[in-house]
Amino acid sequence: MAMPSNKIKNAKLVLLGDVGTGKSSLVLRFVKGQFIEFQESTIGAAFFSQTVSVNDESVKFEIWDTAGQERYHSLAPMYYRGAAAAIIVYDMTNPASFSRAKKWVQELQAQGNPNTIMALAGNKADMLEARKVTAEATKTYAQENGLFFMETSAKTALNVNDIFYEIAKRLLLQAQPAPNPSGMILMDRPADGTETRASSCCS
Amino acid sequence: MEASSRRSGDRTVLEPLMEINPAEIAGVSPATPLSVRSVALSSVSHPILVFIGTGGGKLLLLSLDPSSKSIELLRSVSVSNRPIDSIEILMEIDRILVLSDGFLFLIDRLLLQPVRKLGFIKDVTAATRRVGFGDSLNLDFSGDGLLKADVSSAGQRLLKKLGGGIRANGVKQPRVSESQRGKESNCLIAVAALKRLVLIELLVTASSDVDSDYGGVSVLLKEIQGVEGVKTMTWIGDSIIVGSLDGYILFSASTGKCTPIFSLPESSGPPKSRTLLKSKEVLLLVDNVGVVVNDVGQPVGGSLVFQYVPESIAEMSSYVIVARDGKMELYRRKTGTCIQSLNFAKSGSGPCVVANDEQQSGEVVLVATSHKVTFLCKVSAEEQIKGLLRKKNFKEAICLLEEMESEDEITEEMLSFIHAQLGFLLLFDLHFEDAVNHFLLSKSMQPSELFPFIMRDPNRWSHLVPRNRYWGLHPPPVPLEDVVDDGLIAIQRGMFLRKAGVDTSADEDFLSNLPSKAELLESGITNIIRYLHVSRNKDLSPPIREGVDTLLMFLYRALNHVDDMEQLASSENSCVVEELESLLGDSGHLRTLAFLYASKGMSSKALSIWHILARNYSTGLWKDNPISAERDLPDVSVDPITGQKAAAIEASKLLEESADQDLVLEHLGWIADIDQDLAVMILTSEKRVNQLPLEEVLNAIDPKKVEIQQRYLQWLIEDQDSDDIHFHTLYALSLAKSAIEAIESTSGSTNFKADNERNVSDVVSGSENSIREKLQVFLQASDLYDPEEVLDLIGRSELWLEKAILCKKMGQETLVLQILALKLEDCEAAEQYCAEIGRDDAYMQLLDMYLDPQNGKAPMLNAAVRLLHNHGESLDPLQVLEKLSPDMPLQLASNTILRMLRARVHHHHQGQIVHQISKAMSLDAQLARIEERSRYVQINDESICDSCHARLGTKLFAMYPDDSIVCYKCYRRLGESTSARGRNFKQDPVFKQGWLVTR
Repeated sequence: MAMPSNKIKNAKLVLLGDVGTGKSSLVLRFVKGQFIEFQESTIGAAFFSQTVSVNDESVKFEIWDTAGQERYHSLAPMYYRGAAAAIIVYDMTNPASFSRAKKWVQELQAQGNPNTIMALAGNKADMLEARKVTAEATKTYAQENGLFFMETSAKTALNVNDIFYEIAKRLLLQAQPAPNPSGMILMDRPADGTETRASSCCS
Repeated sequence: MEASSRRSGDRTVLEPLMEINPAEIAGVSPATPLSVRSVALSSVSHPILVFIGTGGGKLLLLSLDPSSKSIELLRSVSVSNRPIDSIEILMEIDRILVLSDGFLFLIDRLLLQPVRKLGFIKDVTAATRRVGFGDSLNLDFSGDGLLKADVSSAGQRLLKKLGGGIRANGVKQPRVSESQRGKESNCLIAVAALKRLVLIELLVTASSDVDSDYGGVSVLLKEIQGVEGVKTMTWIGDSIIVGSLDGYILFSASTGKCTPIFSLPESSGPPKSRTLLKSKEVLLLVDNVGVVVNDVGQPVGGSLVFQYVPESIAEMSSYVIVARDGKMELYRRKTGTCIQSLNFAKSGSGPCVVANDEQQSGEVVLVATSHKVTFLCKVSAEEQIKGLLRKKNFKEAICLLEEMESEDEITEEMLSFIHAQLGFLLLFDLHFEDAVNHFLLSKSMQPSELFPFIMRDPNRWSHLVPRNRYWGLHPPPVPLEDVVDDGLIAIQRGMFLRKAGVDTSADEDFLSNLPSKAELLESGITNIIRYLHVSRNKDLSPPIREGVDTLLMFLYRALNHVDDMEQLASSENSCVVEELESLLGDSGHLRTLAFLYASKGMSSKALSIWHILARNYSTGLWKDNPISAERDLPDVSVDPITGQKAAAIEASKLLEESADQDLVLEHLGWIADIDQDLAVMILTSEKRVNQLPLEEVLNAIDPKKVEIQQRYLQWLIEDQDSDDIHFHTLYALSLAKSAIEAIESTSGSTNFKADNERNVSDVVSGSENSIREKLQVFLQASDLYDPEEVLDLIGRSELWLEKAILCKKMGQETLVLQILALKLEDCEAAEQYCAEIGRDDAYMQLLDMYLDPQNGKAPMLNAAVRLLHNHGESLDPLQVLEKLSPDMPLQLASNTILRMLRARVHHHHQGQIVHQISKAMSLDAQLARIEERSRYVQINDESICDSCHARLGTKLFAMYPDDSIVCYKCYRRLGESTSARGRNFKQDPVFKQGWLVTR
């Protein structure tokens, strides 16, 4: 942690999903470690930031928790534009929210940045007895669409940090720098130098 | 962000300044009502200029002096006969831009010159000025001809129109040369008209009396076409953000490229946007939500959620002000918290507008309905906090303080000031922990400010206490006990009033759960201790440092924190001893006092306390100690033995460093009584610079405490290398005495079997051997003691070996041999001694003793045989035979003689062997020498002498064993033993391989 080479990468992350799926609760759990049973509906969007350390590197998430209400759907593109990662949240006790999540995935695939890392979070995993969306069906769907999938619970904190950590890991992996061509530059530079020297000599 | 945190109670950030009826001021008769449609404020000059645009197309200019609350009408001009939609102050060119009836009008700031209509553009729906980043935007108005370009997928077209000459609408544009441009000021505005966006640069040349159409203002144009239905518009940097019923779109002013930001949901209100100058961001309204985006259209921070859809929005420092329907609210931009709600007019009094001069400090806010204009004034942060503190609304005050701190709106000094003030208020409200937390946050507060709470005035430090009363919101300082008493009375009064139904500002927690005085005092003291403790690490002046440490001790004592007291006293501190002496003494904190004395270098006082303590512990007086009788004391004090030891240890620590002879000798006694080791450590300490006078120390040591004396002498002799005969003798005598005693005690105990009857306090029991060993070693090793004296002492004891050693020292060979051979019967030692003497007659003497022990003892024939066997060769056979007693049995005698003769023969043979070996070696050496001398050497023409370097030629030459060759002359000069290479064979012989000499 205290290594001087510790880099901090900023990453815009957006949470999308139907109303009442627990986006704000997930963020609140991740950022403040809290859970509020009756979380008020988000209006517009809320902003948070939180840093995750992966080995000796850090990712500072700039998290946009968007409103799930249909009325604010038109604002969503502004938030997912340029996002490095998106978490699409559905409520595993509510099949409608899962179909809405699929629509979000579609929209992101169509409109968003192809490099955006997409995570699918099946929230409210603490309410197993009320489960309506099976993990198997979601897993298949996630695999087909290149998402990574986790069942989470903001209430019990199940997989909440894990999903953000996984995103951070993938972001850092993505950001692995391509082989540096600086060797070539080093080769070029002395050559240039000799040339200029030669020319100045002749003239 | 929880909704609960969005409401932050009622704070007073804005307070009403005055209200006016514009119609009245303008002197318009009530018959022709005057309705306010738009407002603007300019506070660049004093008094503040207020522009009011009316529904009838009139522009009123008022001057407002906030300090005297006076307002007057300066001028009024008629702009058009339609309502004035917006008023924009163009600071850069000192003009006012007015939008009315779809046209733009330019007027000078004081409305002195006639209104100029920008006639070339009509059907204007919105206009905005550009907010730059301190850069200049190059829009390239000097294009050539009409440029059309498809720049975006949405089909927006960018049209560049060149300035110069006459434009379509008859705008006259005087060409401006570059040299002229330098002197002019300019302003960029964006105008939305019908289906296009027009970017206009307004230029004011230095000579303002030019006969241009716009009162000295020239106009340059650029157009972006295909932008429709614009309702609101802002321009920051390169981005023009346009709001229409569909949503918000961002245009790049330089490229014309457009990017949608977001679309508005169905049936939402009209778009409204507002530049936030402070952060160079734009607030975009959707329903009652304010979305803030930056200059590239990216969202920044969470949304602001207003309680209603605002009609008008203004920005004031870090707040956003919204107004609608006679109400206005103030939101903190960063947190989205509603800070203040205010009703300024009756509900239903028509559309309202809010404005301030946001380009300046913007501290005067104007909010208007159709017929009423209200001015509000920002309350300074300090006043806000003061107000909250006066109401004892600490929570809110702290909250505000934190906000201001996070937004950098407060100076460091003020912050410290407020924290200190808050701390004092909390202190008097008996919230000691919070109080100290705030004290600690205050960088300017002096620890001495708390002194009057600890020690009653006047005291040693009274003059050091700064007379800082802060805002005077708290009473003057009094001792903590009085603070608690007064506080409790106030709480009780509060309870009484509460029962009587009167609202009080007393603390809820305290009212419901009245704390006891003792609890409060303890909490107060604990927290002040915490503060003083932290203060100790600060850079303080010496008198204040003294105060802090002394009062800290005071407080520790009050709580009876013995460990802390002792820790403070024994570490480096600035306590004033005189202040604490009697206090600690009276309360029985003697250990602390002793530590304190010690740390202040008052060793003798400290030592006498340790002495007293040790005595008290041993006599059980500690039980009467008032403190321990009442309260729990640490274990050290409870166990008398360890307590006593601890006192001795502390005292010895002091004495080890002390060079004060009298002091050391005074206290040595009682410490030795407790622990001899400590006493020895004191005497033998290396810590003191000047050693104690030896004689006096030795005299002072209790003669009964032999061990101390011995160890001191041992240290003197062994570690200090003392070679004083007196000390050596003393040590030897002392050891001998102990050894004698040890022998007696062991023999005594074995005799009487009364194991522990005897007090062996001075002799460590069972250490007889170790003492004797010590004695023997010392007697052997030292040559400086007086052996006779020692011998005198042990003469009658059984310490035979010691006696032998002493006799040896005195050279009494016969006596030594007698003791060794006859008394101790240690043949080996006796023979060894003979060897030491080294004379043959010694062996003979020994043999004599063996054969004739006298005193009626039988001859020790075995020992004699052994002696003859080992050393027979050294004995003269004739003498031996003479010694043999005529009574000796033949068998034994023959044995003896045989052994002796054998020994002689053996000795002879040994000699022969050695002789022959030597001869062989001699032969070898001779052979090697011959070989060496018969070596051949080849000499040629170039061979030279190694010494004079002359050619040898046919000269005579010599060669040394190290192969160096010299001419004969040089050989004579150098001699045989030193070669030409300088090797001296006498000192440094040569050995070559192959020579047979191997030894």
